[in-house]
Amino acid sequence: MQVYDSSARQIPVISQVKSIYDNRGLLRLLVVRDLTVRYKRSVIGVWWSLLNPLFTTAVMFYVFNTVFKSRLPDGAPFLPYLLSGVLLITLFNQGLTMGADAIATGAGVLTKVYVRPEIFAASASISSAINFLIGLVPLTVILGIYKRTPTWHFPLVIAVIVCMTLFTTGLSLLLSIAYVYFDDSRSLINIFLMALQYMTPIFYPVSVLGPHTKDVVVLNPLFAYLQIFRREFGNVSPSTFSNWEMMVASSLVAFVGGFYIFSRQWPKVVAKL
Amino acid sequence: MTAELIVEATDVALAYRRTRHRVSSLKQTAIDTIKRRMAYEQFYALNGVSFDVARGETVSVIGRNGAGKSTLLKIVARVLPPTSGRIIVRGHVAPMIELGAGFNPELTAAENIVLYGTLLGRTPKEMRGRIEAIADWSGLTEHLDIPIRAFSSGMTARLAFATATDVTPDLLLIDEVLSVGDADFREKSAARTVEMMNGGCAVVLVTHDMEAVKSMSTRAIYLSNGAAKHSGNPAEVVEAYLSDVHH
Repeated sequence: MQVYDSSARQIPVISQVKSIYDNRGLLRLLVVRDLTVRYKRSVIGVWWSLLNPLFTTAVMFYVFNTVFKSRLPDGAPFLPYLLSGVLLITLFNQGLTMGADAIATGAGVLTKVYVRPEIFAASASISSAINFLIGLVPLTVILGIYKRTPTWHFPLVIAVIVCMTLFTTGLSLLLSIAYVYFDDSRSLINIFLMALQYMTPIFYPVSVLGPHTKDVVVLNPLFAYLQIFRREFGNVSPSTFSNWEMMVASSLVAFVGGFYIFSRQWPKVVAKL
Repeated sequence: MTAELIVEATDVALAYRRTRHRVSSLKQTAIDTIKRRMAYEQFYALNGVSFDVARGETVSVIGRNGAGKSTLLKIVARVLPPTSGRIIVRGHVAPMIELGAGFNPELTAAENIVLYGTLLGRTPKEMRGRIEAIADWSGLTEHLDIPIRAFSSGMTARLAFATATDVTPDLLLIDEVLSVGDADFREKSAARTVEMMNGGCAVVLVTHDMEAVKSMSTRAIYLSNGAAKHSGNPAEVVEAYLSDVHH
């Protein structure tokens, strides 16, 4: 028989992760729910999730390749460079906002039923990761058009996905608190996300930046994720060891920090709702 | 021999800092913080509340709006840890919440049964084995494969009630006695609730319905400003509450 004792010591982060693990049945169901709602009920199924990144890429390709005649300095093909950027930023945006939305809209249930909200954040990040994996199919096709194949070390992309899942899970917990507390946080976060997108070299090479801007862009964790993803999957951009350091460190800091702050703030949210 | 205690609450308090004016925008909060206009006050939603609920007992919680009833229910449901004091809850807890709050309109009735049941603490495997029985009880066997966005509110309520009450928990939490659906279903759901109450579970009931308090509960607690003002015999507690309300 399960016994709940409010005075039992709970170690933040560890107890939260353990509770996600203990409820992995629910986690699986939530991921399946996200994917089912998106795919099974739409006519073109799985490809629906790809429509958005593919269209975005097509528009950007037209604007920057045809109108502005941008070229990458090392002669790497622009289209796979662009698509990998769009796929990665979609992975980040989706994991972050879907997770925060799931908690904010589920508050009615989460304040009455004992379910750890962290499970909702994790499930959103995991389902975005699955969408991202599906997106690797058209990316491979486009690499093929340019007579390129995924590198032999492409399984290292898994590291990018794992780090991104931890990164967005932690951040979406923080964002969910803001969503519940402040009505205007949604529009503010959209502006922030737009700025972040421009600070990530999705459609431009880093070499076009001036020294000051470049310093700022390099500090953006998403830059590190993107460089590694491009390097490991299609070899359309170089990556450095410091990119790896940045990726792993940012994911751990966001994950541990997000979980810790959430464990402190969530009871206050529940008390006020 | 005394009955097994399902809930043991000792000196439970819940305090939080709240702003004097309700602020709900980030912009306003930032401005107020910069101008040092944020005034906080310590607020006790609950203060020094102690009570036990034994198996087979139904304890009603009454009081004015804002007296701390829902906070108490959240603490018993373990959604909210008390800021001081201690609460122990033994066994499976089933909250009866606004029916259908855990449903996803795009999923079919069968998928929702599994999801909702799992949210309430059962396993997906267990729930898959219960789909037929739950659909049968709620009279929705024909509609199992239909997304519930096509359901009427009555059908959704039936499905939610049937899923939530599929097993008798050790502790049942009720926030207002449900009155949904047609007369037929109301009768059926009331009968099921009474059956669960008599079936060896402990019940904590929050309600404004004083007749229900007197007829259903074995004990009552009257909360006022976060403290238990009276507790004991339901009829006496209700009387104390009503005389306060009328003055």
